[in-house]
Amino acid sequence: MSEPNQPIIEIHDLHHAYKRQQAVRGVSFTVDQGSIHGFVGPNGAGKTTTLKILATLLKPQRGVVRVFGLDVVADYKNVRRKLGFMPDHFSLYRQMTVQEYLDFFAAAYGMGLAERNRVVGDVLALTDMEARRNDLIKALSRGMQQRISLARVLVHDPALLLLDEPASGLDPRARIELMEIIQELRRMGKTIFISSHILSELALLCDSVTILDRGTVRYSGSMAGLSQNDGETAEYLLALAQDHPEVEATLKKISGVTAIAKDAKLPQYRVTFQRKQTDPNTLLRATLDCGAQILGFQEILRQLNQAFMDLTEPGVPPMPVAGQELPTPSGVAPGGLE
Amino acid sequence: MSMPAVALFERTLRLETRSWLMCLARVGLLVIILFVLLPLQALGRAGWYGAPGLRFLEQMTWINLVFISLAGLSYFASAITEEKEEMTLGLLRMTDLNPIAILLGKSTSRLVGALLLLLVQVPFVMLAVTLGGVGLAQIVAAYGTLLAYMFFVCNFALLLSVIFRNTATAGGVALFFLLMFFFGCYIANAIEHSFEFSYHVNLSNGIWPDITWAIGLWRAAIPSERLGSIFQTGFSGPVFGFQVISNLVLGVLFFLLAWLAFDPCTRHEKDAAPARRWFIGRKNRPSRIPPRLVGLGAITWKDYTFIGGGKFGLLMKFMVLALVIGLFNYIAFESNALKMREFEGGVLIWTSLVATAIWLSLDASRIFRDEVRWKTLSSLVTLPISVRELAYRKVAGALAGTLPLLSVAVLGFVLVPDDLASFLNDMLREPVNFGAFLVVFFQFILFLHLVAFLSLVIKRGALPLAIAIQYLGGGFFLGIITSISVAVRFQGMVFVIAFGCVAATVFLHYSIGYRLVRAAAEE
Repeated sequence: MSEPNQPIIEIHDLHHAYKRQQAVRGVSFTVDQGSIHGFVGPNGAGKTTTLKILATLLKPQRGVVRVFGLDVVADYKNVRRKLGFMPDHFSLYRQMTVQEYLDFFAAAYGMGLAERNRVVGDVLALTDMEARRNDLIKALSRGMQQRISLARVLVHDPALLLLDEPASGLDPRARIELMEIIQELRRMGKTIFISSHILSELALLCDSVTILDRGTVRYSGSMAGLSQNDGETAEYLLALAQDHPEVEATLKKISGVTAIAKDAKLPQYRVTFQRKQTDPNTLLRATLDCGAQILGFQEILRQLNQAFMDLTEPGVPPMPVAGQELPTPSGVAPGGLE
Repeated sequence: MSMPAVALFERTLRLETRSWLMCLARVGLLVIILFVLLPLQALGRAGWYGAPGLRFLEQMTWINLVFISLAGLSYFASAITEEKEEMTLGLLRMTDLNPIAILLGKSTSRLVGALLLLLVQVPFVMLAVTLGGVGLAQIVAAYGTLLAYMFFVCNFALLLSVIFRNTATAGGVALFFLLMFFFGCYIANAIEHSFEFSYHVNLSNGIWPDITWAIGLWRAAIPSERLGSIFQTGFSGPVFGFQVISNLVLGVLFFLLAWLAFDPCTRHEKDAAPARRWFIGRKNRPSRIPPRLVGLGAITWKDYTFIGGGKFGLLMKFMVLALVIGLFNYIAFESNALKMREFEGGVLIWTSLVATAIWLSLDASRIFRDEVRWKTLSSLVTLPISVRELAYRKVAGALAGTLPLLSVAVLGFVLVPDDLASFLNDMLREPVNFGAFLVVFFQFILFLHLVAFLSLVIKRGALPLAIAIQYLGGGFFLGIITSISVAVRFQGMVFVIAFGCVAATVFLHYSIGYRLVRAAAEE
């Protein structure tokens, strides 16, 4: 059983291959209880394979995968009771009504009639689908079917939700509403592991993120950590009231400053430095000593989409072959792995 | 033919010829030729058969006929429905292709693929002349019959493929009408003959002579009748008879009907998902799972209700059964051939057994296939149960829908207790009889497993392919083994065969589990 403060998901050195195609190579990361964890990566990065292993649909070929401290292979029945998996497609019995579909899954989890009535009512209320309870699923729009898929994974009240591309193909309103439901679920204490390509929404939603590319983890950790580049270098924007020629030369002389780039039109400088060798206060003091009037001085934080572009390789990757090691891409953050 | 139509034809033909299933079918047919040829040659040399060439041609032709009727039917019936199921028909309609080009492009390529299966046999079938007892005219007439019949089946299935939403429905309806085509005239003939002794009907007056003439025409159009006359020694009829002409004319007619129906039937893209049957219950009165069926029982309930049709489905099955039994009784009554208790017992037993076998076979073909097709397996597999438990519960749901049919057989046994007692007595007294019963029983269990397994491996036509594999391939294999056992007087062979069936069933049983896990992970 999972202990307090123990990560909900623990993956260590996970490998999985389909015939000769290596999908996941040495993936390791953890997810904390009660958090929303984003799982991003280009197509073919190994996200769905990892999700299916977590959902006990696939067996890991090497490595350890634990959910709530339970091994996903040896203890798969208990793991299934504790998680809800929403795949990237509609896994719906389209000839059933919404009520019948949810009632069936609630019964399959062993709930009695009274409990089923309550649970089905609750999940329909949460997903705002009460008015469509008697509609045939095949008659619902894509967004509504997505809500029913989400309602289905909630019927047995799992503590962990694995959502694979939940917002895929939804219109903006449906996407925003789905994100609101996910936030509400977090407030209810659920841990949410969400794979998505919509980075802007993940950036607003997630506490932590794992970036996967070509079967390997390129970053795993907090969103704050991701924003601070690789953690060893920092980049600041220095805005002055007017051009001051001495500033650039003075800052360049400071040990640890690796680059200064001046804006072509405005009196602004992007200063990059090593955190271990200098700090923002030293830079500020040096600027003031030059007699320059400072309008602004702030750290440039990386957005998720920028981090994604930095950490993943461009183009379609060659098919990785099982057993063959690919070179580490240049964008990997050395300290990024937890 | 316009260029886009040629492009569609070329694309479909490429896909079909690259298909591993078609390659497997070609290899399978050649293996069957070998299986047929070798024992016939040996038996011919030993003097068992007077005309081994004719026997060889006869067996090959019957195999082809069954193959076209079963495997070919589902193959042709998916020509348009597969585009509907993939929701790509609308895209095809948006191109420069007109309906006739789509129909030709989709069906002709399949017809060519199937023709290749026949043509690949020609050099081997010519060996029949060498074996002796058959003339070239008979070979040409037999293959002409098959080609015309294939053209007819292709276009009939194409019409149903245009009309229906999915392959399963189109194939099922096509099979029903094809069975009616083959056996309907005999049933009509039997009904007509039963009226010979009737006080109500005079067969020499009114429309009855015309009906007799129509039944005769119908019979002449059936390929099995035509083949029967071709395989008579000293066949001197026309190489292309009425059957060839009628089948070709019907084929053209069905193609024209498909063309006419194409636009109205495909104008609006419809969801190919299985429709909710009206007898399951109104939408505002949903089917609820009884409290005693929570947990694993819920899965049984789902399949019993949504695949078997629930209690209303059962009622429908009973009604159809009652109709068939009533028909038999009516024929017996009109022909004054009624021996009440024995006749009723026999009708009840055989009708219910055949109905149960058909229903179980249909269930086996869709019990797992529907979950895979509509990608619902992953949500079931993530329930806190093993795949084995899941599969058994689904099977229980399907069985629950057919067990009441078996109760009719029990009623039949009650009516003929003496027959049942003598049957059981035979079983206990003669081990060979008991062994033969075991073979039949285990063969059917094996067949159901084969259907379920194939439904997870191939996209369409699991049931006909299973019939072709087991009752054609397996039939020949059993024939050879039986011949050997008779020759060496080894009576225990039936038990060996029964054991072989059990071993094959166990293998398929585990293979189904493996395929289910894989299918859930691949969704």
